[in-house]
Amino acid sequence: MSQKIVRGLFALLLIVLEWTQPCLPSPLRPVCDLRVLNHFIKEARDAETAMRSCLEGCSLSESVTVPQTRVDFDIWERKTAEVQAQEVQSGLWLLHQALSLLQSSVTNTALQSHLDNSLRNLLSTNAVLRSLNFQEYVPTDGGPDGEDTWRVSTATELLQVYVNFLRGKVHLLLSGAQACQQDVS
Amino acid sequence: MKSDNLKRSLGFCMVLLVQLSQSSAPKNPQDFQYKVSMLLREEPANPKCFAEGRKDFTCFWEEDEATAGHVGQYSFTYAYQNENSSRCPLRTHRAADGKRLFICQLNRTQMFIQMHIKVERESVTIHNRSLLVELAFLLDPPRNLSVSQTEQQGQLRVSWVPPEVKYMSDSMMYEVSYAPANGGLPQVEEVQARSEVVLRGLSPGTIYMVRARGKLDGISYNGYWSAWTQPVSMETPPAGFDILIIFLVAIISVIVFLLSVTLIMSHRRFIKKKIWPAIPNPESKFQGLFTVYGGDFREWLGHTNGSLWLRPAFFSSEECPSPLEVLSELSLCSQLPTPPLPLKASRAGPVERQGEEKSSRKEEEASGGMGVWREPPHDHWLMEQLRAFNRLALPSSQSSLLESQDAYVTLDAQQQASTEVEEHLDDIMEESSPLEVLFASSESRSDLGSMQRSSGSGRLSSGSSLEYPNHTWPPKGPGYTYMAVADSGVSMDYSAMSSGCVNVVRKTQVYNEYKNEIWSEPRPVLTRQSQVYNGW
Repeated sequence: MSQKIVRGLFALLLIVLEWTQPCLPSPLRPVCDLRVLNHFIKEARDAETAMRSCLEGCSLSESVTVPQTRVDFDIWERKTAEVQAQEVQSGLWLLHQALSLLQSSVTNTALQSHLDNSLRNLLSTNAVLRSLNFQEYVPTDGGPDGEDTWRVSTATELLQVYVNFLRGKVHLLLSGAQACQQDVS
Repeated sequence: MKSDNLKRSLGFCMVLLVQLSQSSAPKNPQDFQYKVSMLLREEPANPKCFAEGRKDFTCFWEEDEATAGHVGQYSFTYAYQNENSSRCPLRTHRAADGKRLFICQLNRTQMFIQMHIKVERESVTIHNRSLLVELAFLLDPPRNLSVSQTEQQGQLRVSWVPPEVKYMSDSMMYEVSYAPANGGLPQVEEVQARSEVVLRGLSPGTIYMVRARGKLDGISYNGYWSAWTQPVSMETPPAGFDILIIFLVAIISVIVFLLSVTLIMSHRRFIKKKIWPAIPNPESKFQGLFTVYGGDFREWLGHTNGSLWLRPAFFSSEECPSPLEVLSELSLCSQLPTPPLPLKASRAGPVERQGEEKSSRKEEEASGGMGVWREPPHDHWLMEQLRAFNRLALPSSQSSLLESQDAYVTLDAQQQASTEVEEHLDDIMEESSPLEVLFASSESRSDLGSMQRSSGSGRLSSGSSLEYPNHTWPPKGPGYTYMAVADSGVSMDYSAMSSGCVNVVRKTQVYNEYKNEIWSEPRPVLTRQSQVYNGW
């Protein structure tokens, strides 16, 4: 009888522990080395170069929404880190959608491999942002508002936007990330 | 009049000043003029634009003074992608070589977006360009360039302060150019994202001129190379004694010294012999001459067994006539009466006896043509000499006629040295006299052979060498019997010349007997004799 009680209590304890999930996932080490992003930028530039030389089988089937890439430093610096992170993450999400659409409509094999690379790099960029303790932001359905977006209809424009976004806002966000500033200073 | 003159002079001065200011060559690399002139050289597109910082932006173009219009005739419009266009106010500037510059400066820019620029002159587009602002940076050169020595030889540490542009210091790349002050090709070191570098491989004790310039690395941002900084000179440390080199040299020298010492020690005898050759000391040959008698030879002679040495020829060994010479006087093959050398009394008896026997035998068995055998006295003397020679010890160092002759005769029972040969010879001696052996051989060769075998060594047959030949001796002309003895101790060489004499014949016999023998050591005289005959 007492044994049964003990076993029951033990099982209950285990259930409770599993439910509370006391072991939180350990935080990722911050990826502060900008060479990772530089690598993504270089690969995006390669894709843009390949697109420029592509003649057939490399067009968008429909126009896509892409984020704004322009950076006005005065405005940028006035934004908080969270707002900046949100802006970057929503832009990445949009680009992901657009590039996936492009990949489905492109038939050129060389371009396909570049697009595969770019999509993987986008996911890695998200991981990098997560490692820098930026709060994860998933855009609601419909995407962000129009101020920060615009539409492109050609693959060349799309890839240009992709490159400029990485070089601009993403790079600025990472180079100014608080998690990395503490290590440096 | 005076006021007019003053005004004129003032105006003249102002014009001069203006001219001076305009025509002065830009010396300061941060000068706007310097950048303009640099871009005019490097940028082919028009208008030429550059950004000096995060927010400012400058565009300009050049026109000939003669064809340029008023600045109001021109319009500079720009439009970012998906945005409305804007106008930029222009200002003009007179440049060198009769050119005029039109400049547009913006205080706010947008980066990472295409910028479309259009320049019109009276509604006619003269220039059109699309660019990205962040790709047209032309920064100021690095500041506070400093060069210092490091602890190492041939190195200099160069450091500087990067241009003050926020967010972009990680995207900078630099070039450091250094060259010896007294001439030489300048070398360039590329540096990425760092603001200091250590130059290596420099010559010690040399003054180097170092300068640097910067540029954005071209991934996120791009632009043109900045102007070079003012050169800074620094001397590299002089070539000093490297401790490591000294240490290595010391170790190597120690090792070489030890090697040489070891070599010398292992070959010291050889080296000593070469450098300090030993003076030959005849002490070993003359026992007690130096130690007991202090070098007095006569005294020493008087106290030793001088019977063997009582020969006038002995005292000057060099002039000692060799047996060769002595015997030549004998001419055994002729009718010379007696040998010049006196015989020992101890040997007289048996020799005489043997000689008689020999002579009788000879008379019996002498064949034609061997008149030699009819001269017993010479033969007898020869045998005597041989016997006497053999009696003496072989290892005797000094050579003498008698000694050599004695060694030739190994028939006596008396022993001098403990050589194998003599022992064996003693065995023979017990059996018979040599002459008997000599004549016995004629009876049966087998006996001789047995005798040989019983000797146990080839040398034993030296006794048998005295055998009487079976066949006729080859008639030879009257000649000399030479027994040249060059004595150097143990070995004795005999050179016999051909003659119709007994010993020649005997040599023949010797040869026949020994032709199958293996000679490995210094042999007794007789065997040598055979060899000598071979040589003949």
